[in-house]
Amino acid sequence: MSNGKWDDKTIAAASSAVIILGGLAYYWVGEVQSTVELLELAYGSFKFFNNPLVF
Amino acid sequence: MINELLLQFAQWLEGQEYSQMLVSGYYSWNWLEATHVLTLMVSIGSLFIIDFRMLGWILPDVPATKIADRLHKPMIIGFVIMFITGILLVYAKPVENVQSLWFRIKMLLLVFAFINAWVFNSRMRAAEGTWDSARVAPKPLRAGAIISLCLWCTVVAMGRFIPYDWVDCPKVSNTAILWAAGCVNELNAL
Amino acid sequence: MVSNILNNYRSVVGLAVVLLVVLLIELFEVRAAIYPVLFPFFEWLKYSSWIGYLGTTYGSVYATVQAGHLISMAVIGGAVLVTDLRLLGVLLKDIPSETITEGTHKCFKYSLIVAIATGIFCAAGVADKVYYMPVFWVKMLALLAGSCFMFFIKQPLLNSRPHEEIEPWTMRLLAVASILVWFTVAATGRWIGFS
Repeated sequence: MSNGKWDDKTIAAASSAVIILGGLAYYWVGEVQSTVELLELAYGSFKFFNNPLVF
Repeated sequence: MINELLLQFAQWLEGQEYSQMLVSGYYSWNWLEATHVLTLMVSIGSLFIIDFRMLGWILPDVPATKIADRLHKPMIIGFVIMFITGILLVYAKPVENVQSLWFRIKMLLLVFAFINAWVFNSRMRAAEGTWDSARVAPKPLRAGAIISLCLWCTVVAMGRFIPYDWVDCPKVSNTAILWAAGCVNELNAL
Repeated sequence: MVSNILNNYRSVVGLAVVLLVVLLIELFEVRAAIYPVLFPFFEWLKYSSWIGYLGTTYGSVYATVQAGHLISMAVIGGAVLVTDLRLLGVLLKDIPSETITEGTHKCFKYSLIVAIATGIFCAAGVADKVYYMPVFWVKMLALLAGSCFMFFIKQPLLNSRPHEEIEPWTMRLLAVASILVWFTVAATGRWIGFS
């Protein structure tokens, strides 16, 4: 049964988009976290410039 | 003469502190190259959509000049980013790039591609309103689109070939290739 | 009631089934069990298949196919950006979004086929290396998710009715998810090259 704009395809689309965005956020936040940890390991604190691992 | 000048300039660049920092940083080179390659999707992606429309392959019901106009800005933004990252990539490895046959061919093709784009754009402006809603653009514009597709595909391929060492200076003995690649020391040794 | 739900909520039920299967795969460590079984295939791909032979023997062929992979990726990027930026109301606002999504879908489909074909060739040349790379498996997962999302979820919804009848926030979610998933496929692909 359709409920105005929220029908079967719309619910499936919205849910799958949220799941995909959640998965991507989990992955990319993890990547940024591990990169920052590596930079801190190399230099003691997070530093972008004058860091031998970055620039 | 020009090869010697280019090599001297490249060697001067290579000696600079920031050039060495860019190439030796674990992330700097990778991020720079990744940005350069990923921005392909914006710049060349937009360009290919415009060319495909001119050839009537996609969006045939949308006026062609409208597609070209609306995609012009994202395309330019993409090319500006690629231009900046490209310059920095050359700055990081100047001698390697200046003495790369593929890099030189890529630069030459880029010049031709931009000339083609300028001619194409002028022709499109001149013919505006006369064929806009047609599925396929007039022959001169179709030719421009095909030339654009071929040139840019070759530019991408040449860019992909740069890291490979098949025609690196120490590996080549052919005089013409040595001159084309700017292998000054090897030419002098012959 | 159950048959009513199955008839009227086919897509939602399908999505729920897929999620359940993924959950069971993780719960019963099926993925960890399958992983070692795949290695002989990757070895065969590199050392015994003709595409592996071509890729490892002729560097110029490998590089040319890689360039083809990049070009098809650029076309995918162009099609995705044009469609999704239109759905977000950023680009081509004076052209109906139905026209844009319908017009670019064929282009997306063909370039995806070329990207997958060239990608298999590129992976075959370094199959024994990519098998051990987590970033390769992330790319494959993103590619699978992106393709299924596009063909089974996004396009069916966009083709089902006029876009102004679709919930606006759903359209925005679709567009953002699509852009980010294809960006992830491209970015992880680039990172494979660095590893």
